[in-house]
Amino acid sequence: MDYRLVIQLARLGDLLQTLPAVTALQADRPDDQIDLLCAAPLVPLGKIFPGVGQVLPWDGEAWNQMAQCWSPERGHALSEATEHLRALERGSYVVAYNLNNHPRSVLAAHLLSGRVVGAGAQGPLNPTLPPWVDYLRHVAGDREPNRIHLADAFCGVCGVNPPPVVPTLKGHDVELAPDLVQVLNDSSLIKIGIVLGAGDPDRRVPLAAWREVIESCTDHLPNSLCLLIGGAGEREAGLALEDQLSPHYLSRVFNCVGRTSLPQLAHMFNRCQWVVGSDTGPLHLGVACGARAIGWYFSRARVHETGPYGEGHFVWQHSGNMHSEEKRISLSPPRSEPPRIWPVMETIDLMRNHHPAGSTDWALWTSHRDDWGMFYTNGVKPDNKVLQRKEVWEQLSRLSLQRQKYSRTNAVMGS
Amino acid sequence: MNLLQRNVGILQQHDPALAAKVLESSGGTLSIQTAKSGVPTAMVNGRFIHSAYDPVFEAERWAEHQLKDCQEGEMLVVLGLGLLYHVEALRAIMPEETVITVVIPDLAELVDGLSVRSLEGWGKRVRWVWGNPEQMVLQVAQKAQRIRLLTYEPALSLHSEAYASFRSQLRDQLAKWTSGTLHIMVVGPIYGGSLPIAGYVVRALESLGHRVSWVDHSLHAPGYLHLNTIGNDRLRMTVQQRFSDTLGVISLAHLAEDPPDIVLAMSQAPLSMAVLEQMRRKKVLTVMWFVENFRHLTYWQQMIEGYDFWFVMQQAACVEAFKQAGASEVSYLPLAADPTIHQPIALTPQEQEELGADVSFLGAGYRNRREILPTLLGHEWTFKLWGNEWEQAGVLQPVLQRNGARIDTSTSVKIFNATTVNVNLHSYTGPGLDPDGDSVNPRTFELASCGAFQVIDHRTLLPALFDESMMGVIRTPEALAPAIRNALHEPEQRRDMAERSRKHVSLFHTYVHRMQMLLSTVGLASPDRIGAILQGERHAESLLARTGDCPGLRPLLQTFPSTERVELVDVAKKIRQKGPEATLSREELLILMMDEYRQETRDFL
Repeated sequence: MDYRLVIQLARLGDLLQTLPAVTALQADRPDDQIDLLCAAPLVPLGKIFPGVGQVLPWDGEAWNQMAQCWSPERGHALSEATEHLRALERGSYVVAYNLNNHPRSVLAAHLLSGRVVGAGAQGPLNPTLPPWVDYLRHVAGDREPNRIHLADAFCGVCGVNPPPVVPTLKGHDVELAPDLVQVLNDSSLIKIGIVLGAGDPDRRVPLAAWREVIESCTDHLPNSLCLLIGGAGEREAGLALEDQLSPHYLSRVFNCVGRTSLPQLAHMFNRCQWVVGSDTGPLHLGVACGARAIGWYFSRARVHETGPYGEGHFVWQHSGNMHSEEKRISLSPPRSEPPRIWPVMETIDLMRNHHPAGSTDWALWTSHRDDWGMFYTNGVKPDNKVLQRKEVWEQLSRLSLQRQKYSRTNAVMGS
Repeated sequence: MNLLQRNVGILQQHDPALAAKVLESSGGTLSIQTAKSGVPTAMVNGRFIHSAYDPVFEAERWAEHQLKDCQEGEMLVVLGLGLLYHVEALRAIMPEETVITVVIPDLAELVDGLSVRSLEGWGKRVRWVWGNPEQMVLQVAQKAQRIRLLTYEPALSLHSEAYASFRSQLRDQLAKWTSGTLHIMVVGPIYGGSLPIAGYVVRALESLGHRVSWVDHSLHAPGYLHLNTIGNDRLRMTVQQRFSDTLGVISLAHLAEDPPDIVLAMSQAPLSMAVLEQMRRKKVLTVMWFVENFRHLTYWQQMIEGYDFWFVMQQAACVEAFKQAGASEVSYLPLAADPTIHQPIALTPQEQEELGADVSFLGAGYRNRREILPTLLGHEWTFKLWGNEWEQAGVLQPVLQRNGARIDTSTSVKIFNATTVNVNLHSYTGPGLDPDGDSVNPRTFELASCGAFQVIDHRTLLPALFDESMMGVIRTPEALAPAIRNALHEPEQRRDMAERSRKHVSLFHTYVHRMQMLLSTVGLASPDRIGAILQGERHAESLLARTGDCPGLRPLLQTFPSTERVELVDVAKKIRQKGPEATLSREELLILMMDEYRQETRDFL
């Protein structure tokens, strides 16, 4: 059995987008153990990734401290870093799959394995990017029109096809507050997770819009209960939202903001029917845990890249983004005007299984899957770009193979 | 054999001379009492210098507290003797190879200690230094080793002057060995009296070989001063405060881009507490040279905990006030001159005509000057008055030059050179001479450095800087005119005195001297950081000699010139220069990783 390491040092949302790649690698290498290296605070979540052997914490704060007190003569500082690293290693990894095009991630990959796939594959100082990583860089930087989902592109980086079955997360048996347990165990309720916060302030939905969602749910979905989701930093927002609600609506809200760890949140989402929010980590966690998602995508968020992964999800895409995308006029990521109106009733209609009324500012996209992974459609049929995904996969896979052959030849000649 | 004799026997093995001296001495400095725990404790002047309950426990806590800061390879020098409980506790907690040196300012105090406390088991693993401060400094500083001073405050006060003298001589001794260079960020004010001093400081530091980043906020002065057109006081002050806060953030941005070893702020530098706290979080040492009268400008009270080091131009009362307010490190650092600017110069006849006079005064129109200077009118000499803030000058109006315009530095130097007797009256908002006048103004040093003769009002700190063979010193306003007359009648003596003062400045009172003193003070207080750099421990050759733990670093360090300072960024740069095809060692990858984190700036602002 060989040990393989997947490296994902970015935030919650990116870690969740890594789940399909981990699953596909496991299917591709059933005899090997796949370990995961992720940001230390996300380790509890990594531990519920199915089939992952070990989850290694990347402690950025500890590295920061070491860097600040390091000086060349203090050999023990370097020894300290070596020790820190040794604590992460479980022997030698035959390969490290590096999913982040960032120097720290590249260095981590080379420190932990003699062979790197993904960013840094050509060497720790070599700026040449493998085809899939280069593709992602273009998509992120130039806002190229594309239809390959980020999670599937991560599979491409790892040299595997998207998994045939969408992987899901099961929250382990974790202890929850008794009042929350009571709510979650009430099978008569339709539980809707409302994701209040967002790491990027541009992606925050105003509290007034959430108030409307809660009021509309109460008015139109008789057995619904809205669970407010967010981290400790969003506690104030959660309380402010509760303040804005009349007692009639307040009784249909359960405020979980800042009360749950990631495994607890996963456990909660396992019992939610729906999750509503902008393009954030908790939205993707809800999706990975089996809730159907209705995403509100605006600012820089784009449905084709980071839409909820799996079938049966919806995304309301703010038209400002699509406009920018289609025109391809911007060299830097476009930041559209914030939405003036929010697709509140349209979202409720989707949950009621009603055909939603059209919206001038928002377009509805529905998720689907085929052999090349996820795609979203805005109508009955997929558009041409969706159909072109096969060609992109084939082209990038061919290029990747060529690059690998070239590298191997060079290595043999060098040796 | 009593306890003292047994202890002398222990001393005898390593320091026979000290043992002999102890036998010759009698005690009597400390009053020995019995603590509640049953062991001896000591009092001086009715005050315990060790715990009255449990001196052993107290000493252990003290030693544990010191342990946090101490680094491997340092020599620990203990100041404060008492009954040595703290020394024994320190010896017990420190590794065997750590050298602990105890400074003995008074043998009688040591005799008291050795009469009631045994050295058995630990005394021979301590180095004792004794004699006068100069001898003790030589004993301590004879080895090129990092020195960390540890003070046991309760016993320190018994011989505070001797310890202060030891400390300052040690600092001066270490300054002589300075070979390393620092990166220092000097943050100046937007405008005001400390602005030219910031310039002198920058030049001095550069001339000492340090790399200086000057954050010159005077560039923003026109915008800031334009805010004075806002009539509403509250609005104006609010806007000015925000302007100033923004300049603080700009300083942080500069710091983030190129982090220095030290931030040296001059008085009125626009660094708020929030900015200083952020600097502390980023582990940058902050120093303030407060070149103001602490009694007149009191904003230091709000900033006191923001800076790691304070340097002030007043002594005793000022240092005490700063310490009382919470400053951890306060040192006296008088003003100075820059002889590359303040120097004797030859004037053209036109300049001599316009700027010259028998007697001149250059300065702002404070109350005491308005009252004293008229006594210089109507005499046999010509008198010119220079400077601003002389509105409603009254009888002085006819002698006010350039209609009271502000005089720039180069013109000041010409005036000093063109004047036979320069009057130097320190500013005071009351009548006459300032009865509490202690600090010496920059003009004193500048006049002296120009080789210009001056008559100055007496200041308590003046004799330590200049003696009366270098300038005329008056103690009452009435003495001014006679002193001038005397000087005018004695040209030979006047020129001798001025020349002596000029030489004295160049030997002792330049900004280069001040910066040496400032840096060696900071270095002594932080031996593992600034001290180590100043002693050249970051030079490539020094690093090479100490790469035992990481042989992988040797080839990298060998690529640097031997006396070049080498930091993480430099090593990382060398590694990156290996090019895209390079295969890197584990050490090299780790260095690059830490350099990536070192560059972290996202949380700076």
